[in-house]
Amino acid sequence: MKPVRKLLDYIYSIKLLKPFHPVIDAVDAAFFSPSELTEVKPHILDNIDLKRYMFAVIIALMPSTIAAVVFYGWYVLAMIVVSYAAGGIVEVIFALIRKKHIEEGFFVTGIIFPLVLPPTTPLWIVAVGVAFGVFFGKEVFGGTGRNPFNPALVGRLFITIAFPTIMTTFWRVPFSDAITAATPLSIYKTSHTITPYIDLLLGQCGGSMGETFRIGIIVGGLFLLFSKVADWKISISYIGSVFVFALIGNALFPMKIAPPVFQILAGGLLYGAFFMATDPVTSPFTKAGKWIFGIACGLLTVLIRSFSGYVEGVMFSIVIMNAFTPILDHLVLSIKYRR
Amino acid sequence: MLLKKIFGSKGNKTIKNALWYNHPIFSMCLGICSALAITNKVDNAIAMGAGVSFVLIATSIIISPLRKLIPQRVRIISYMITISSFVIIVDMFLKAFFPVISVKLGPYVGLIITNCIIMGRAEAFYSQNKTGLSILDAVSNGISFTVTLIVVAVIREILGFGTLLGYKVTPGGWENWVIMAMAPGAFFVYGVLIWIYGEITSR
Repeated sequence: MKPVRKLLDYIYSIKLLKPFHPVIDAVDAAFFSPSELTEVKPHILDNIDLKRYMFAVIIALMPSTIAAVVFYGWYVLAMIVVSYAAGGIVEVIFALIRKKHIEEGFFVTGIIFPLVLPPTTPLWIVAVGVAFGVFFGKEVFGGTGRNPFNPALVGRLFITIAFPTIMTTFWRVPFSDAITAATPLSIYKTSHTITPYIDLLLGQCGGSMGETFRIGIIVGGLFLLFSKVADWKISISYIGSVFVFALIGNALFPMKIAPPVFQILAGGLLYGAFFMATDPVTSPFTKAGKWIFGIACGLLTVLIRSFSGYVEGVMFSIVIMNAFTPILDHLVLSIKYRR
Repeated sequence: MLLKKIFGSKGNKTIKNALWYNHPIFSMCLGICSALAITNKVDNAIAMGAGVSFVLIATSIIISPLRKLIPQRVRIISYMITISSFVIIVDMFLKAFFPVISVKLGPYVGLIITNCIIMGRAEAFYSQNKTGLSILDAVSNGISFTVTLIVVAVIREILGFGTLLGYKVTPGGWENWVIMAMAPGAFFVYGVLIWIYGEITSR
């Protein structure tokens, strides 16, 4: 590692390259762990830093990413590259203007974002979505650790509302080029047919790129939970409350609310519960706050799926609860330390 | 020089304030309601801008000469009555001559009455300045408001409908950004524009 250190020190000493220090810092930090402490969330009580933390999330996403490439072809990789490039440009511009480090959070956003898109999304929409998400979801609030909403979800929300036809009707069944408007949830909504669970687990149905191969998501999610990178309380309370509310709801309104196991396996619930809701920046850091967060997400998801015009409610419920995160933490702390 | 002759020493400052330093939308964030709602098409924006400008100018012509006659206690009501009379004129004019635009603007023509720019200028400027200067202020503020509306509407119409004043300007295969045609899209456009304005003025 010594020659690398020497090379970096030499680059630092060149005065001409001073405006580009954030970029060099990023390279530096990828090789050598930084010595400074985090000022804002995520706070970590361990000897891992933000970068390895984010790296663990990327490793956990690998099964779904590889499955997406196998299912939908190399176009998936093109989408990921475009996502990193477009979001990276926004990120680098802000780092240069603010003269700060390039923030690691982006490495996760860049890969989480394309995985929640339909496999036929045009590349320019990927670019618009991720740029919008990083800009309005994160940078205008002050960068990683200060963002109230998950940037990937903000981007996804924006293009869902901006391009409704592309984002809701152009799904593909894996290993075929046929375009279909049907996902398991929309099939249920129109004809009350339940897609076989084994098809859902193996990803033989329409859906976003990263969410269809559910075994891979469960494996990656469990890796996150056991390595304590993601908090189990949020994932478990989210999935558990969807189960409970769907169970009650299905008994009360069998024509409106789908049965519980189907609710858990269909749509983006597993992906959202493991990778989106657990984002340490936008979810509560108090224990009670985490339980409330997960349960409220579950309730909202079941309600939106069953009673709104949209077929999927995971994205909306997580963004809505992100908005309540600061007040949840505040309430929990003020009750706990009330005199 | 001509400005100085007609309006005295404050003429220049009045124009500069209205067009940039006290920009009604960017600096004071007034009149945002109608600006958010109707800027999805450029022709709507022009109609709204013209309507507001007309009401501004007409109000200044009535209120400024009467500023010493209107008692302090009932001044807000007097301004309100003056403004609403002119708004009703604008509404009827649009209905008679531009029925299509009148339908598209809907209730927002009537809501010009509550447009804070007009009330704000009446309270802050017409009630304290001479008639000529007040008219100048009204014209500058009207131009300022209209130009801003048109800029926002150009961005939103191109992105949201792929057209400009109804003519297609985008290449084939263009996908409309539906969100830009809805009111939330205006928030993003205004947010970015106000940010740029703030960056420039704070230098």
